[in-house]
Amino acid sequence: MSNQNIQRLPAEQLFQKEIDTLIANETHPVPAGWRMSPKSVFTYICGGTSGGLEITPKYIGHERLVEIAIATLVTDRALLLIGEPGTAKSWLSEHLTAAINGNSTRVIQGTAGTTEEQIKYSWNYAMLIANGPSKEAMIPSPVYRAMEEGAIARVEEISRCASEVQDALISILSEKRISVPELGIEVPARKGFSVIATANTRDKGVNEMSAALKRRFNIVVLPAPDSLEAEMEIVKTRIVQLSESLDLGAKLPQEEVVKKVCTIFRELRAGVTLDGKQKLKTTTGVLSTAEAISLLAGSMALAGSFGSGEITDYDLAAGLQGAVVKEDDKDGRVWEEYLENIMKKRGSQWLSLYKECKELNQ
Amino acid sequence: MGQGPYVFGIRHLSPAGAYYVRDFLDQVSPRLVLIEGPSDFTDLVVDLGAEGVKPPVAVMAYTKELPIRTVLYPFAEYSPEYQALLWAREHGRACRFCDLPSDVFLGMRAAAEAREAAASEAGTAAEAGEPAASEAGTAAKPEAGQAARETPGKAGGLPDLYKALDEQCPDKDHETFWERTMEQAGDWAGYEAGAKEFGRSLRELESRSAADFAENLVREAYMRRQIACAGKEGFALGEIVLVTGAYHVEGISGDLPAMTDKEEKALPRLESMKTLMPYSYYRLSEHSGYGAGNRAPAYYEYLWQGLCRQEPDYGARRYLTGLAAYERAHGGVVSPAEVLEAARLSLALAELHGSRIPALKDLRDGAVTCMGHGAFSEISLAVAHTEIGTRIGSLPQGVSQTSIQNDFYQKLKELKLEKYKSVTVSQLSLDLRENLRVKTKASAFLDLNRSFFLHQLRVLGIQFASVQAVRQDNATWAEQWNLRWTPEAEIQIVEAVLKGDTVEQAAAFELKSRMEGCTGISRMAGIVREAFYCGMPVMVASALKQLQAMAVDAAGVAELADTAESLSVVIQYGDIRKLDRAPLVPILSQLFLRACLILPGECACDDQAASALAEAVGRLAAVGVAHDFLDTDRWNRVLKQVAARDDLNTRLSGLAAAILLEQGKMDSEELGREVERRLSRGIPADLGAGWFAGLSSRNHYALIGRLTLWEKLSGYLDTLDDEEFKRALLFLRRAFADYSSMEKDQIAENLGEIWQVNPEEVSQVLGETLTEDAMELLEGLEDFDFGDI
Repeated sequence: MSNQNIQRLPAEQLFQKEIDTLIANETHPVPAGWRMSPKSVFTYICGGTSGGLEITPKYIGHERLVEIAIATLVTDRALLLIGEPGTAKSWLSEHLTAAINGNSTRVIQGTAGTTEEQIKYSWNYAMLIANGPSKEAMIPSPVYRAMEEGAIARVEEISRCASEVQDALISILSEKRISVPELGIEVPARKGFSVIATANTRDKGVNEMSAALKRRFNIVVLPAPDSLEAEMEIVKTRIVQLSESLDLGAKLPQEEVVKKVCTIFRELRAGVTLDGKQKLKTTTGVLSTAEAISLLAGSMALAGSFGSGEITDYDLAAGLQGAVVKEDDKDGRVWEEYLENIMKKRGSQWLSLYKECKELNQ
Repeated sequence: MGQGPYVFGIRHLSPAGAYYVRDFLDQVSPRLVLIEGPSDFTDLVVDLGAEGVKPPVAVMAYTKELPIRTVLYPFAEYSPEYQALLWAREHGRACRFCDLPSDVFLGMRAAAEAREAAASEAGTAAEAGEPAASEAGTAAKPEAGQAARETPGKAGGLPDLYKALDEQCPDKDHETFWERTMEQAGDWAGYEAGAKEFGRSLRELESRSAADFAENLVREAYMRRQIACAGKEGFALGEIVLVTGAYHVEGISGDLPAMTDKEEKALPRLESMKTLMPYSYYRLSEHSGYGAGNRAPAYYEYLWQGLCRQEPDYGARRYLTGLAAYERAHGGVVSPAEVLEAARLSLALAELHGSRIPALKDLRDGAVTCMGHGAFSEISLAVAHTEIGTRIGSLPQGVSQTSIQNDFYQKLKELKLEKYKSVTVSQLSLDLRENLRVKTKASAFLDLNRSFFLHQLRVLGIQFASVQAVRQDNATWAEQWNLRWTPEAEIQIVEAVLKGDTVEQAAAFELKSRMEGCTGISRMAGIVREAFYCGMPVMVASALKQLQAMAVDAAGVAELADTAESLSVVIQYGDIRKLDRAPLVPILSQLFLRACLILPGECACDDQAASALAEAVGRLAAVGVAHDFLDTDRWNRVLKQVAARDDLNTRLSGLAAAILLEQGKMDSEELGREVERRLSRGIPADLGAGWFAGLSSRNHYALIGRLTLWEKLSGYLDTLDDEEFKRALLFLRRAFADYSSMEKDQIAENLGEIWQVNPEEVSQVLGETLTEDAMELLEGLEDFDFGDI
């Protein structure tokens, strides 16, 4: 199967060259179960050079948090990344495992329907009934496999799992072994085993993690990018990567366009204009950096498929309308107010975007 | 190092520097130790090293004239300079400070400020392009200078420099970088190498900003001169060690010439005095621009202890357990496992940077992640407490201080206030009455003397004590104080030395100079009151004399009322504060009489003046009630006159009636007559309603209880036509504004009875918030034009 036709490649394949180079040029001691030293993992994530190859930064801003995350995994503690939606929790978790293990696919997606078996192990029931319990009939979970291999397993959206399922992780993280009473065996975790979990702070109606489970994680809170420049940088980097893999058929958005989108997002997110002079209402949605990226990708798709190939204010307005106005007409009013009070008064550069947005937000 | 002198480069307030400088001195064993710091501080070397001096302490130089400028040199126990000084003392070697004298520092700063002021003035003028604007700029200047006068010597202009340094460091934070390279050096040679690097990069960056760089060159030339002087005295260069900031190592060791006599004479000077003062860790932490990286004095002390115990990771352990202990003591839950995890994580972070000992940044991040569950806010208080700490230094008796500092500490001891010398606020309740259960006179009036002392400090503007409101009204014998010692308070004490040698003298001087600048009698009465609070009978007497002289041609009722009130307080307190109040009585009588005489005349005024006057009349009434010796009969006659006359402001007439009513000088019948007369048909609405407003501004209950009054008001309103009603409404609305909702309910009940409607309904209507229309209507009334009346 050719990589060309896969919609989304895992990080370790997408950046295979970088990972290989980093491993080849390793100069620092490598912890047990890891493929490269913590320093190289840091370089892989925050960018730098190795063996003459430019390593692209995967996570921009807050480098100290990346250091803390890596240091946590070095001490074989589990890592919990929490933050608002779209603050690159899963992104960071994927790249950490890609760099450390060369495999970011040992994932459990936490949902309301996740069961304890999916955390530990389940059975091939046909074989179980035919032959009784045996190693062959057992289907190990990603966590189980990670323990056997001394690698890192990922649990996405852990707070969406039911409490009893979350609790299954407690014994795994403290004992570092899974017992299979049906077979009378215990599987100890090899060195290098750990778990990276992510959780969302915005979701309502999720299952709050128990103190006992929280205590087994080192918690790193990922904030929204702290400056317009940092956010624009993130958006630009990701757009380049996306347009390569998605074949959008449009030109990359101009600096000015990225700046406009990031400005609107940051202002609506913070409830105040960038210069801090004017207060505004905030929307019910989060307006994360990730949304800004997908908005621009969407606009590129529009421009590529139906337009001239260059993002126009018309394409942008369609994207903005969809991103900002998520719930009922409340968001619509917030958006309207923003258009009239802020954007209209921003001068000629914003005028045509203002007109398009106003047209759509009727 | 060859010829010497040996120059040992340090960071100020660096534990490792403090530890290794001793190693270094042991090895070189010099006969003379020179230390960076104003050379005139050499007189204080003996005192600084004396037994019983507990750092942090600071040497302070201050100008003899206003505006007071100060230079502060703080020392912690882990200051390399302080340890070098102690080493010299222990080994009986000579020790001197060798930087520019403080006179010159102060002189240069004044000169620099003048230059800046001139420059920015020129800037303002150029920007505005109009002469008027440049004048405004000049006017604003003195205040700016005043505010800046306390910045310590080395802080100016540095923040940008350190920001640039941050960019260069691998940690993006120069503090952490230097902690890793210098504080964790391992031996003095390693420390020295780090210091050289530190100095070099600072020099490189700073040579870009001309003014600071020039100042440093001057200082270095002076230090070279001091070395040369020592050489002439017979110290071989190899017998001298100079302990100085890493920055200066290169400048001093270079081949540049020393400062000549002529150059030295040419330096700007401001005459100054110097003193020692206790300092606090909190204050140290505020001045990270000092270049010492002392954002966390308490943590640095742990590092120092770790070095002394030869346990390199002691600081880290102490820090994390300190955080946990603080959290637990304040209701947080931190398990030992979390502390352990934080330690492991911070170590892993340090290793990521090739270090084996976590730096403060690693420790804090480890603690936030493991103990604070990722949120700094969870442990921020613990972090502040553990990094900064609450330690304050102390100086033993007899160590050179200014006379007023000595007096201050002497007084603290005498009055048993020493335990309140802490950086956290503590409360002190005083009972000024004589304590009959103790034997000596001193302890019987301990609290009273404390009160005198604290009031003196308050008058001097020394922020050691602030008085709090007492819960029980009129408890003249009780006082509640909040006490908190800060280095600022100490500085204020030192500054007060210009006013007198003891706290009491300084307070007297302060009051005297206030008296001289005083124009109005109410101000003067305020001074009388202050002097009385401070327990200074002589001052009270002289202020009274002046007051009497001024009272002869005293001005308005309002000012008289203020003055009378101040004096009234003094007389009421008199006994408790052991003051002869006899001289006050005639003055108060005189003032009161005067107020009686001019009151009716002043009552012919407009509504705006009336509200101020109404307040004054209220106060005078209170004063009149409080003292038997006042001519209250005359007062009541005057009030009756005001109440009866038709040509005065009706609101004041109403008020006079209210006061008479309150004191039983007007009976129901009289009131009824008066109401009838004031609220009769044909009386303009604003006059009638204004009178009612005055009447109803006091003794609400008595009015509410009189149903007839409300009947009459209702009847009067019925006589008004629509236009008039609107006018009346405006006044009545104001009159009832300060009635409580319960009182309003009771009025509603009265009205309900009169109008034969359900009182509850009325109260409901009254209690409702106004609709927007009604609001608008009322606002329209505010703009109503009364010109045609």
